[in-house]
Amino acid sequence: MKDIVIHTENLVKTYRRYKKEEGLYGSIASLWKRNYEEKTAVNRVDLSVREGEFIGLIGPNGAGKTTLIKMLTGIIAPTDGEIEVLGYYPNDLRNEFKKQYAVVMGQKSQLFFELTVNDTLRLFKEIYEISEQEFQRNKQYFMKLFGVEELMDVQVRTLSLGERMKMELIVSLLHNPRILFLDEPTIGLDAVAAKQIRSFLKEINEKKGTTILLTSHYMEDIQVLCQRTVVVNHGVKIYDGSTEELFDRYQKNKRIIVSFGKPMRKLLLETQDARLVEDTSYKKVYEVPKESARRLLAEMMKYEPGDIVVEEEEIGVIVERIYQEGSEYLG
Amino acid sequence: MNKKNMRVLRELFYLRMHGLMVFRLDFLAPFFVDGSLFVIQLLAFGVVYGHVDAIGSWGRGEMILYIGTFSLLNAINMTIYFFGVNSIPYKVRSGELDLYLSKPVSPLFRLTFENISPGSVPLILMSLCIVAYGVSTLRMPLTLPVVISYGFWVLVMIVLYYELEVVIRSVSLYMVSMARLEQIEEAGLELCMKLPGIAFYGVYKVIFYLILPYGIMATLPVQSMIGEMNLQTAAFGIGVVALFSAVTAVLWTQGLKHYNSASS
Repeated sequence: MKDIVIHTENLVKTYRRYKKEEGLYGSIASLWKRNYEEKTAVNRVDLSVREGEFIGLIGPNGAGKTTLIKMLTGIIAPTDGEIEVLGYYPNDLRNEFKKQYAVVMGQKSQLFFELTVNDTLRLFKEIYEISEQEFQRNKQYFMKLFGVEELMDVQVRTLSLGERMKMELIVSLLHNPRILFLDEPTIGLDAVAAKQIRSFLKEINEKKGTTILLTSHYMEDIQVLCQRTVVVNHGVKIYDGSTEELFDRYQKNKRIIVSFGKPMRKLLLETQDARLVEDTSYKKVYEVPKESARRLLAEMMKYEPGDIVVEEEEIGVIVERIYQEGSEYLG
Repeated sequence: MNKKNMRVLRELFYLRMHGLMVFRLDFLAPFFVDGSLFVIQLLAFGVVYGHVDAIGSWGRGEMILYIGTFSLLNAINMTIYFFGVNSIPYKVRSGELDLYLSKPVSPLFRLTFENISPGSVPLILMSLCIVAYGVSTLRMPLTLPVVISYGFWVLVMIVLYYELEVVIRSVSLYMVSMARLEQIEEAGLELCMKLPGIAFYGVYKVIFYLILPYGIMATLPVQSMIGEMNLQTAAFGIGVVALFSAVTAVLWTQGLKHYNSASS
């Protein structure tokens, strides 16, 4: 049995936020009497992660995913509860601890935009005290893995979003972290770039044994990568178990988007349980039970479509269904 | 400073130089802008002190030495850490501090030294010229102990200047709005740049010697050079710096515990 690298018990994070009545009167009144409300971003979350696991952390906006990552990395202190990562209390901000993990935030870049990636890597080599030999070895490995040899001496600001995310990952992985925290790494990426990033992450997890905790809005990320998924909503953990079971139990439908090169009228389909949710001359969007998806796709091919995209249901729908059908965490 | 920090400092310096040299105007403009501001400041001093023969016990020579010393402290501050420390409130508000907290190097160290400004180096040289002019006006013998003593006090006061800047900017870790606290700093600096500490009495002396000790920053190095510094003044100066070192350390480390990051 592998070691537990992340352990939390009854972990809580509350924020105080200022509330004011609308208008000038409210502003003046607030000078004397301030009203605050407490917002619980993370509410009594228990979590145990073993070394080498690839875990998905999903939930709608404001569910508490990023707050949880920030507590696990020590960026913010918890309000209550127990937390231990790699044997450390994260918010002590010890350098020995910080050397053992890496965090990539999809919306915050650790690269210097005016400089090249090679320039940034040199700084991180010194910050993480990596020997020259190890630095060169890791750099070569990741450059080849991500296929970015040609981009290392290019100004970061000229890179595409997908290329930049690959560079963020290289910078983060240079010191061989034991845990990699990824907060929305595929946000804003096109389908091809997101797929590439997924395949790199899979390889890093399998070959290097890096424990990965991934938050994402995209169900595809989770389905492809994570053996285990934790679903949070309003700061509360509502599901923690195998990704396969999550999809079997709560993912009922697929969304099939069909584009045509010429205008199409209403299609007469044999797949009775397919529901047309968007209908234009050049594009039809169907929602279909996942058992019938294959049949609908085969039927669509008869109409010679320009493109077909199959999407999973959105996270909000899954969360709703977990509430409807219940889970062991909902009592 | 340990070996690791020295290496990080070297890389931060290189990165900053690379960054500044990407755009030629970014690299060259500060030399002209900072130099012009410095000349304007000197002209203002010239106008003020052209008609004043003495402030307290200090004559024109001491005042030139004082102005040179204050300019020197300011120039070193601008060159090494001002732009880095000044970015702290923005990095707190924007949540960029997250990226500093998750790296195994002191966030304050990295913030302090990541925005050095080579464009301010000429100001250091110009300030040293003013100091030399002050020494020649006073016709004082410049012995090695005097130079060492002056250098020591300049170094101590650079530390104090840094601590005062960090203390004020650490407030951003505790509250969203800093309510223009930086303007108090600007006003205090502006006043104390024109008036030496020996001109303050009563409550003003308490404010500018202890609470916002801008009043001692250039005064003590000058006093050490002209032989006006006694043991009591030296002990007071060291005590104030030690006090502010402790306040800075507590405010910063406790501030990081208060840091709530910005929602992403």
